[in-house]
Amino acid sequence: MRNAFMKTTALALALSVSATGAALADKANDTLRVAYTKELENVDSYFNSSREGVVLQRAVWDGLIYRDPETNEYTGNLATSWDWVDEKTLELKLREGVKFHNGDDFTADDVVATVNFVAKEENGVKTQRNVNWMESAEKIDDYTVRIKTKEVFPAAIEFLSGPVSMYPAEYYAEVGPSGMGLNPVGTGPYKVTEVVPGQHFVLEKYEDYHDSPKGQPSIGKIDIRTIPDVNTQIAELFSGSLDLIWQVPADQAEKLAEMGDQFTVSNESTMRIGYLSMDAAGRSSLDPNPFKDIKVRQAINYAIDRQALVDNLLKGESKVVWTPCFPSQFGCAQDVTEYSYDPEKAKELLAEAGYPDGFTTEFYAYRDRAYAEAISSYLNAVGIDTDFKMLQYSALRELNMKGEAPLSFQTWGSYSINDASAMVSQFFKHGSLDATRDDQVLEWLDVADSSTDPEKRIEFYRKAIQRITEQAYWAPMFSYNTNYVTSKEVNYTPTADEVLRFTTMTWN
Amino acid sequence: MPVLKTIDPLLEEISGPTPSQILRKRVTGHSGLLFGVGVVLLLVIVAILAPVLAPHDPYAQSLANRMVKPVFMGGTWEHPLGTDHLGRDYLSRLIYGARVSLLIGAVAALISGVIGTAMGVAAGYFGGKVDTVVTFLINVRLAMPVVLVALAVVAILGGSLQVVIGVLGLLLWDRFAVVMRASTLQVRRREYVAAAQAIGASTPRVILSEIMPNIANNLIVIVTLEMAHAILLEAALSFLGLGVQPPTPSWGLMVSEGKNMMLFEPWLVLIPGFVLFVLVLAINLMGDGLRDVTAPENRG
Repeated sequence: MRNAFMKTTALALALSVSATGAALADKANDTLRVAYTKELENVDSYFNSSREGVVLQRAVWDGLIYRDPETNEYTGNLATSWDWVDEKTLELKLREGVKFHNGDDFTADDVVATVNFVAKEENGVKTQRNVNWMESAEKIDDYTVRIKTKEVFPAAIEFLSGPVSMYPAEYYAEVGPSGMGLNPVGTGPYKVTEVVPGQHFVLEKYEDYHDSPKGQPSIGKIDIRTIPDVNTQIAELFSGSLDLIWQVPADQAEKLAEMGDQFTVSNESTMRIGYLSMDAAGRSSLDPNPFKDIKVRQAINYAIDRQALVDNLLKGESKVVWTPCFPSQFGCAQDVTEYSYDPEKAKELLAEAGYPDGFTTEFYAYRDRAYAEAISSYLNAVGIDTDFKMLQYSALRELNMKGEAPLSFQTWGSYSINDASAMVSQFFKHGSLDATRDDQVLEWLDVADSSTDPEKRIEFYRKAIQRITEQAYWAPMFSYNTNYVTSKEVNYTPTADEVLRFTTMTWN
Repeated sequence: MPVLKTIDPLLEEISGPTPSQILRKRVTGHSGLLFGVGVVLLLVIVAILAPVLAPHDPYAQSLANRMVKPVFMGGTWEHPLGTDHLGRDYLSRLIYGARVSLLIGAVAALISGVIGTAMGVAAGYFGGKVDTVVTFLINVRLAMPVVLVALAVVAILGGSLQVVIGVLGLLLWDRFAVVMRASTLQVRRREYVAAAQAIGASTPRVILSEIMPNIANNLIVIVTLEMAHAILLEAALSFLGLGVQPPTPSWGLMVSEGKNMMLFEPWLVLIPGFVLFVLVLAINLMGDGLRDVTAPENRG
């Protein structure tokens, strides 16, 4: 009875919220309506750094190589075969007969132009790590191309199958990133027919899509609207003006699943990891800086009940994580120091470190306020007083680059790159975001990053990761999951990499 | 209540009710005032006795007991108003939240009251250049949207109890200044002020013992209005994540934290929202009542 009342209330609210009026799922018009939570800075995939951008990138553009999200095997996409000519030169044979959405032929010139543009730091690609391993590209003939890497870079294949997508040379030279953002052109399964920044994107099935391992698109039209508030998204889902929402918080997803036959709720793990970053190198103005002391860092590690966070807050496919990388990533050794929940031990360690009454520190976070609050409660419980500050991602990133955040709750999704270098090497190689600056770790990571021998890479990543956990530089906590909620009309099986694949969606 | 009129003024003096009797009658006859004062007093007592009254530690989280329903929705008396998204007792957080709301309301109203009254009385009493400057400042202040300025300042300085109190205290003085200036202008021309000046009373003495007592009833009303205003602004700032910082319990923060589950667990928002509504209503009724009771024209 009460439940029925609640549902009616929820529905009544939902109906009153959506002023656009209710329509049932738009299967009749062959249009799938999807909500994005965040606004994209630029649709050009090299000039945004959000998950939503990755989803569009996979739909509109293609990479040279494709990694099957289920088997993790590499197959050719815009390239048909590839071979290392020497340690730093990769030769690729390109697929013939592929056309861009604007009718241009895809040839070696496009690869050369794209690579040479994005690899140049001054062109300002948002996430440099995605592209700065490439030195340049050169054309051998119309359908053969060579990519030179700066250093020996074994993860090249993974990056070429992920963030590095191919752009039409002539068109891109003419319109540049801003023009590409307003009127994107690629070779992908969907072409963009409308971009209204801040409102919506419309994608249409690309009829001449090549025989790609991504598969052929089935749904005719995708209408993606930006709706920042999750409750509004849910309300629109209730009223039938959205067909698919994703990144739905665990609590709401659970309630939607309880509503039974109206929606399909599926949950998949993602590569995103939540961790605490500590000012171990002593870059912040904190004086004395407790985080320089390994005992304090260990205490923080012991203070957090990761299992309770996973079981009660994150739920779904989330797992406790002890490593500074996602367990499935290549080289992410799991035989590391684990700090299971032990608040008494945390207090002892703090006392030994000279803080019997704890200390006060600023504690920063940029997302998942509830998780951050729960974590700060755990820290308060062992005597560490937290001055909680919630910032925008860009503001916190800047603080971290300057080393001014003594303690922060961070997450990293590795751009779904299934290689430990996408996370460990991002944060522990003395870059501006490295709060630890351990020379030994740097040395080992250099070896691991530049070796072509998989065994050697595994060995040195393990050494580095073991040292990081033993020194308790971070407090890795959990992996994230994503809830996908679709109306019953839509058939979709999510993959473990947090990428919505419109190509594999069908109508029921 | 009309006072009985008799022909003999001496008889009237003797038989009529004394001023304190009249006051008592008017207070007890004013239901809005009684309700307002009652609720505010109750909440003040609750806030002071929070450690005794709260059934649980408002900071103790229990992730296994998240969003337990309140007792009237099928919960247990272990958590009479249920628990929040981190399993903290909702009633205890509500009780401790009263401290934050009342503290911010009272201190912000006090700060802005001192600033605004000083400016207003000075402008009204001295007139001339002082008045011009104060009027200019009031206009400047009125041209600034309070919420936007508060948001900007808190965003720069970071949210904390002290910052919020300070910002609100420094922003809400405009109404004090406007009303106190107008009231002082009225009172300043009265004979008793001239008389006090004539016998050589110093300016501070004239202001404190001749003017202030006669404009105090207006001040009381503004104090209550601004107190309610400050409490609502704190809730709004906390709702936007820029007010007091977690884990400090604040009603605005509780609404904000419950908002995500609004479609499914509406009580998470309704309970703190309702308490906030009752407090602000009570303060406003109290202010209205005090004005009715103390206004000179109603003094009979």
